[in-house]
Amino acid sequence: MQASSGMLTKFESKSSRAKGIAFHPKRPWILVSLHSSTIQLWDYRMGTLIDRFEEHDGPVRGVDFHKTQPLFVSGGDDYKIKVWSYQTRRCLFTLNGHLDYIRTVFFHHELPWIVSASDDQTIRIWNWQNRSLLCTMTGHNHYAMCAQFHPKEDLVVSASLDQSVRVWDISGLRKKHSAPTSMSFEDQVARANANQTDMFGNTDAVVKFVLEGHDRGVNWVAFHPTMPLIVSAGDDRLVKLWRMSETKAWEVDTCRGHFQNASGCLFHPHQDLILSAGEDKTIRVWDLNKRTAVNSFKRENDRFWVIAAHPEINLFAAGHDNGVMVFKLERERPASAVHQNTLFYITKEKHVKSYDFQKNVESPTLLSLKKLGSPWVPPRTLSYNPAERSVLVTTTADGGSYELINLPRDGSGAVEPTESKRGQGNSAIFVARNRFAVLNTASQTVDIKDLTNNTTRSFKPPIGTTDIYFGGTGNLLIITPTAVHLYDIQQKKTTAELAVNGVKYVVWSNDNLHAALLSKHNVTIVTKSLEQVSTLHETIRIKSAAWDDAGVLLYSTLNHVKYTLLNGDNGIVRTLDQTVYLVRVKGRNLYCLDRAAKPKILLIDPTEYRFKLALVKRNYEEMLHIIQNSSLVGQSIIAYLQKKGYPEIALQFVQDPTTRFELAIECGNLEVAVEMAKQLDRPKLWTRLSTEALAHGNHSIVEMCYQKLKQFDKLSFLYLATGDNAKLSRMAKIAEHRGDFTSRFQNALFLGEVEDRIQMFKEIDLYPLAYLTAKSNGLEEECQSILEATGLTEEQLTLPEIGEPLTPPQPVVPTYKANWPTKATSQSFFEKALLGQVEGLSLEDEPSAANGFDEAGEDDAAKRSGALADADDDEDAAGWDLGDDIVPEVEEGFVNVESADAGGAGISEAEIWARNSPLAVDHVAGGSFETAMQLLNRQVGAVHFAPLKPRFLEVYQASKTYLPASAGLPSLVNYVRRTVEESDPRKVLPIIPRDLETLAANDLQRGYDSMKANKLEDGLKLFKGILHAVLINAVNSESEVAEAKKLITSASEYAVAMAIELSRRSLGPQDAVNKDPKLLKRSLELSAYFTIPKIEVPHRQLALLNAMNLAMRSKNYNSALSFANRILANGGATKILESAKKTKAQCERNPHDAVEIEFDQFAEFEVCAASHTPIYSGTSYEECAFDGSKYHTKYKGTICVVCEVCEVGKHGSGLKLFA
Amino acid sequence: MDPYSAEGELINIHNHFHQGQYQEVIDFDTSSLSSENALPARVLQLRARVALGQAEDVLADVQGESEPELEVVGALAEQALGRGDAAVKAVQKLVGSAGDNATVQVVGGTVLAAAGLAEEALGLLSGHQGNLEAVALIVQIHLQQNRNDLAVKEVAAARRWAQDSLLVNLAESWVGLRLGGEKYQQAFYVYEELAQAPATSSVRSLVSQAVAELHLGRSEEAEQALEQALKKEPEYAEAIANLLVLSVIAGKDANELTSSLAKVEPQHPFLTDLAEKSELFDKAATKYKAKVSA
Repeated sequence: MQASSGMLTKFESKSSRAKGIAFHPKRPWILVSLHSSTIQLWDYRMGTLIDRFEEHDGPVRGVDFHKTQPLFVSGGDDYKIKVWSYQTRRCLFTLNGHLDYIRTVFFHHELPWIVSASDDQTIRIWNWQNRSLLCTMTGHNHYAMCAQFHPKEDLVVSASLDQSVRVWDISGLRKKHSAPTSMSFEDQVARANANQTDMFGNTDAVVKFVLEGHDRGVNWVAFHPTMPLIVSAGDDRLVKLWRMSETKAWEVDTCRGHFQNASGCLFHPHQDLILSAGEDKTIRVWDLNKRTAVNSFKRENDRFWVIAAHPEINLFAAGHDNGVMVFKLERERPASAVHQNTLFYITKEKHVKSYDFQKNVESPTLLSLKKLGSPWVPPRTLSYNPAERSVLVTTTADGGSYELINLPRDGSGAVEPTESKRGQGNSAIFVARNRFAVLNTASQTVDIKDLTNNTTRSFKPPIGTTDIYFGGTGNLLIITPTAVHLYDIQQKKTTAELAVNGVKYVVWSNDNLHAALLSKHNVTIVTKSLEQVSTLHETIRIKSAAWDDAGVLLYSTLNHVKYTLLNGDNGIVRTLDQTVYLVRVKGRNLYCLDRAAKPKILLIDPTEYRFKLALVKRNYEEMLHIIQNSSLVGQSIIAYLQKKGYPEIALQFVQDPTTRFELAIECGNLEVAVEMAKQLDRPKLWTRLSTEALAHGNHSIVEMCYQKLKQFDKLSFLYLATGDNAKLSRMAKIAEHRGDFTSRFQNALFLGEVEDRIQMFKEIDLYPLAYLTAKSNGLEEECQSILEATGLTEEQLTLPEIGEPLTPPQPVVPTYKANWPTKATSQSFFEKALLGQVEGLSLEDEPSAANGFDEAGEDDAAKRSGALADADDDEDAAGWDLGDDIVPEVEEGFVNVESADAGGAGISEAEIWARNSPLAVDHVAGGSFETAMQLLNRQVGAVHFAPLKPRFLEVYQASKTYLPASAGLPSLVNYVRRTVEESDPRKVLPIIPRDLETLAANDLQRGYDSMKANKLEDGLKLFKGILHAVLINAVNSESEVAEAKKLITSASEYAVAMAIELSRRSLGPQDAVNKDPKLLKRSLELSAYFTIPKIEVPHRQLALLNAMNLAMRSKNYNSALSFANRILANGGATKILESAKKTKAQCERNPHDAVEIEFDQFAEFEVCAASHTPIYSGTSYEECAFDGSKYHTKYKGTICVVCEVCEVGKHGSGLKLFA
Repeated sequence: MDPYSAEGELINIHNHFHQGQYQEVIDFDTSSLSSENALPARVLQLRARVALGQAEDVLADVQGESEPELEVVGALAEQALGRGDAAVKAVQKLVGSAGDNATVQVVGGTVLAAAGLAEEALGLLSGHQGNLEAVALIVQIHLQQNRNDLAVKEVAAARRWAQDSLLVNLAESWVGLRLGGEKYQQAFYVYEELAQAPATSSVRSLVSQAVAELHLGRSEEAEQALEQALKKEPEYAEAIANLLVLSVIAGKDANELTSSLAKVEPQHPFLTDLAEKSELFDKAATKYKAKVSA
């Protein structure tokens, strides 16, 4: 029997003896009825006690949740059955009737029934809707210990201390109580007679089978959820399996092992297993088919009294002397590994499958691992090696073992691996494409092994190592309970260490720069050199994590998917209704494996974290994009922005004027603040605005604020300060108007208007002051008039000493004319882009859409993720590179063919190239110029090689690399191949710089451009260059040969055309040419010939236009007309067409040529490349064997002027570009 | 115990040397080494200095020393200073007196091979007693002679007794780059690992990585690696030479690189070879003439 390694305890409670347990079918709740009369409701996920129900008197032995209603039922030693609502947290009613302790109570799966078993030897069925007793089943002649409904059929099974198990047929009861449907008389009669009655005439529930076999009382009995099987546990320490048919039932087998009373038993809901619990303090797991013990779990001190299974998920609970434990039998985390766009995972059936993220398809089974480990232990981890297409699987069975298996290329069903290598170890991971590391925790060693399973090196990891993970190139992450070590395999030492407790999993980011260390409640993000970036704590268990391509970590807890940015900023992405294991994030798709090891796609809204990420990276374009394309709204984002110090950005989101005002003040955006203040118009806001504006030196806003606030004094002072005397005097008038003398005085003082002040004093009868003012300002007349008015004389007054009259300083600079010049309010790119656009975006109207999906955004995200996917494809398995492994023997066979095993130098690859290829270019690359020249001479009659020298050297230069090797020795020369995949020396060929594709894409286009730009000299050079480059070149297929030919012809035609036009231009300046009739004639002819070579239509139009214009100018209307007609026939750019139409109209009036030229528009001819004269069809000509340019026969034997290489008229075997 | 083995004291300095991290070799703290390892460590440091162009200092350093190890390093320095004949003579003398000394074999073999005396060098090196450095040199000499078959055999033999050693991996990569096909990728893995891990990265490994990428047809990546190398050491001739080759392959103008290579190392094989070929071209071209001159 095995140790209890497989069992995972998820929750434990401490209480008095637990007698009854029930799982909630949906929520993570468990009901526990205790011997102490309490019923507890626990959340086993969070480990919290939700509620206690205490109404029973004495021990409560049976509890059950209703499947759909918020109800549960309990039965206790007070003979009472109570039905409770856990919503209202009350007992709804009590069912009385039993005459002794109640052992179990269960709801029916669809009918409103409860079945109860009691020490009064009866089993009763109750209707909880009308709260009535439906049926009492008698027959047991000792305590009825357990009674359960069949999950589908109308059966009840019961167990009793009378040593029997009984199966009851209750179909009569159902018929009696189901709503009467249309039933014929016959049916009714048939129904009435169908069931034989028992001795009391009771037809509702009749005993169908009595199962005898236990030697002692039977404590528990249960139906199999799907098969006609029954399992029972008794005081005879046995667990018995029974089978029934329609007509009979019999004992199948007995599971022996408990050495004390077996108190509970059940069938595993999904697997062929039986679980039993006993007073021997053990829980035992049995194989249903073989009836052998699979596993057992022993508790030190507590006897088990009851065991229950969750109806849906792989979870069990057992009640014992000191509480309850919730556990599972095995890890449900499917072993998986992601490589690029493929997920490899192991299903519950131990099949290795792959899943393509892009196509969203599962592969057929690649491999079956049935024989791996023990049958009931799922594989723990999977590591994938893309270079070898092999997997490394570990399992906890047999004290930990691993197996290295090659995957078949394609899935062909559940194939058992033909060849696998295995060994002992707790963790095994690939660390390079040909190395893997195996950790043995017992001996505390890490072995690095090669693919043949031989240990190449071995070392002692830090003490207490529990697990190892890939640690980046050449490194391991070694996990100990308190720390993570980054271990350099080559140097055999720890290069970095980080104290993190209890790390369980490591998830690397897609760019391998960061890793997330997951422990039970913490996520720690580290760089690849193990420097901590951030850490966060979760109260709920963290299950898994996956990295977004943008470097955002998404992780899953038991019930949420959350994200965290590298800076530790985190939040919730979505909730989960069941636990999943994230494997990859792509745009809006979150790929995960569920507990059944099925790949699933969860849709997520990445807007929030994308936005935050963009904010952190200050990627305003992205932010703008997000804002425009998604419904990112709500106070939270505003608060977030404000908190993070981006009020100016938050401002863009807000519509609410108050908030907008606050934000505007905060970021100093006065314009917005003014706008909002105007809208709200509250004194408090104006005050704040005035302060802020004053600080900015924006006095026009300050002025407005003061005006709004009617703060005249402040306003006056502002005018004084800004030197705005005009407004100041207006203020004085206002003050006068208001009759506010203080203000008037103030203003007068500011203005330096003495008379006004005196006048005012007089008005308010302050004559002494008026007099003094007049006196001090030297206004004697005024003094006199005051004296007169008051009837006093100067002598009667005693005056203090009067100083200089005070005049306010005059403003030097008209400050009031403009605000204090400040730097324009910071308008980031973002704001500018947003202004106006976001204004219209009503934020308040759409909060409901905050979590919705925006179509446009989605498309875009898809597109973006598509692009990312493409980028991904290019990425290689960057991590896979440690050591190297070449199997050299493979090549030996034919290497020896070339040279004997004796000493002496061999031949270089360059020479081999020349041997391998009939193409001149390969000889050039190999440095064998002579043979290359021979070949060219034979193929195309090349005789003049000087122009080809740059091309020869170019090709040659590209042929070798220099690999630094041993110090002190020259670098190793290697030869660059175009046949990268090839390693057979008889097939390797050199790389060719500027291949056909490059030429067509670059050089040819540049040639066209120079034609368009009228840079014909450059163009001519370019096209000749193309000809030379094609001449020394190679292509990959026959079709490319045709393309090359086309390119040669085209380049040649252009070269001829350009040469014609250039020779025309070299006749001399236009004026000189016009004067000399001979030159003029030649000029017109050449311009006409320029239109003959087969160049691209738009370019031909240019030539035609040129010819037409020249002909017009020389009054050769007939020729011009023909050119115009040709232009019109070609179509194209309207400007040229217009001009042609005009010319045509003009010429048609007088279609005659003033100058006779040798150009017959109707004759077919080609132009001799050397003499630029027509070669009419029918006359004999010579041509260049390479570029096909035509010559009059007299040029035979000369060097072609187009390619400058070949001899005209020399026929060769034709250029070879493809072997 | 072999001091160069994975557990030995000299493993790191030895690896530094062969990863081309010469400065690290020189900076290596040798004070804690046991006495029998002090001399090999010193030899390695001296060789690293020669590789960094401090041959004169090295020569002065070993002047008058009588250990064959130091004498042979002296010869190496001589050769680096351009006095090849004297160096060869010194080595030949040492071969006679201490031909079974591992350092004499390796350094002497280097001197002989660099002087073009490949057979003599192989003869000396073949006397090695499980010395991976000697194996690596033999492999390189075979490759230089285009005897890929022998190089393959040598590596395979070494692989059997020295599984995961750096030198075997390197030698295997040299061979791999010569053989091509899938081996390119495998060689790339080795170099990339060396070049990208901060602990082992050096200009040489970067250039080697680039060369592997270039052979794999990944020009852009190769260019990046070379530029990275040139940033670290702008005057590294091999980096310039390979970048030059790369530019030519990419169809770019390479004149500037050619001149900078000529400035850094006028005698670089690339340049001498090119000049030779240019001459050859001119000579070969004269054989052809048009029938009629225009």
